[in-house]
Amino acid sequence: MGSGKTRLIERLVPVLTKSGYRCFIISNDVVSKEDAERMRRILSVEERIIPEDMIVGIATGGCPHTAVREDPTINLAVVDEIERKDPSLDLIIIESGGDNTMTTFSPALADYFIYIIDVAGGDKYPRKRGLGIETCDLLVVNKVDLAPHVGADLAAMKRDAGKVRPGKPVEFVNCKTGKGVELVARHVIDGLLFDKRAPVQKRRKRN
Amino acid sequence: MSTSHEFKLMQLADSFFPSGTFGTSGGLESLARSGRIKDSRGVLQFIRQQLRFQLIPCDCAVFLAVMNAARKNNIEAAVNADNACYSIKLVSEVRVASTRSGRQLLNSIVHVAPTRFAKRFRKKVDSGDSAGTHPACLAVAADSFGIPRKSALRMMLYSYSAGMVGAALRLGIIQHIDGQKILNRLAGDISSVRLAGIYDIWQLSPLIDILQMQHERDDLRMFIT
Repeated sequence: MGSGKTRLIERLVPVLTKSGYRCFIISNDVVSKEDAERMRRILSVEERIIPEDMIVGIATGGCPHTAVREDPTINLAVVDEIERKDPSLDLIIIESGGDNTMTTFSPALADYFIYIIDVAGGDKYPRKRGLGIETCDLLVVNKVDLAPHVGADLAAMKRDAGKVRPGKPVEFVNCKTGKGVELVARHVIDGLLFDKRAPVQKRRKRN
Repeated sequence: MSTSHEFKLMQLADSFFPSGTFGTSGGLESLARSGRIKDSRGVLQFIRQQLRFQLIPCDCAVFLAVMNAARKNNIEAAVNADNACYSIKLVSEVRVASTRSGRQLLNSIVHVAPTRFAKRFRKKVDSGDSAGTHPACLAVAADSFGIPRKSALRMMLYSYSAGMVGAALRLGIIQHIDGQKILNRLAGDISSVRLAGIYDIWQLSPLIDILQMQHERDDLRMFIT
């Protein structure tokens, strides 16, 4: 919780959209609608990247891990509805409610799983492991700018990540500034999506 | 009931069976937040009232109608009962939650215990001819599993009650032993439900309906309903 999931999505979607991908966002809200509303405000109203109705929030009964792992049917039902309404979407991003390091996504729900931690949680992660950290397709370590302030050793975190998830990617990012997000987007595109050409900007004819 | 049926009844009654109902509180969240329910006595009273004024006269009636239709291979009767259930649910978020859960339950059943009737009913739901409400789909699931009607009905009522106890736990109204005491006390209520007394579809829970309508607009929501 508080690792920057929502902010990562807010940074990632514009990059993917500019690359020609149409995205939909499902935010699993633990108790409030704040995450979905914030994403609408930033991505739809301020940046006009995607329409408001392409961001939905769903409540998960105080069980964020159940909703994406043991019983993903609530999320699957919403995904079904979205796909029926708009089969041309390239990507549906499901943001979980935030949980512990053992949280994983059911393979019935997610084709690609990103796990995000932040340095303010201590550089003991990823060393302390957890299925989420070990098995995700991409591990993102956020808020790297805070490392000196919290005494987090980024080199140690990188080394530990290599040990606990050998051969699997890890990216160090700063979602506040957007540093590193292009690399995250690249992983998503390479790992999950088909290549697309960016939308062609039509030039006005000059009279 | 055979051992095989007993096992399947347990499997379907288990909260572990994927249906999404863990995300619902049936109005309990709103009652708790408004201070109307504060303890295990209130939770027990809430569940009893919901059983009496909603589950038994509405959900059970639909459930039995669909189970009977499945037995007779009468898909239209099942569709009619399902759509009647959808129509009688006044609150939008309740209808949405019921049909989302129902569809997913149906999806699980056609993979786990597919019967011709279940597949036909799913086609009706997929095409939009049938709403796919939770009671109707649960009935199809129970039929697919070969669970006898009386046992299946009690299973539905137990699952509902256990779900509400789970919601009460997560809302912090009760603790775990309270929850088990509540379920113990409900055993008599559930066991005494007679099939013969269920023939018409109705429900009456105006306070819960109003609170659920308000819940749709609440900024703070832990549960879908």
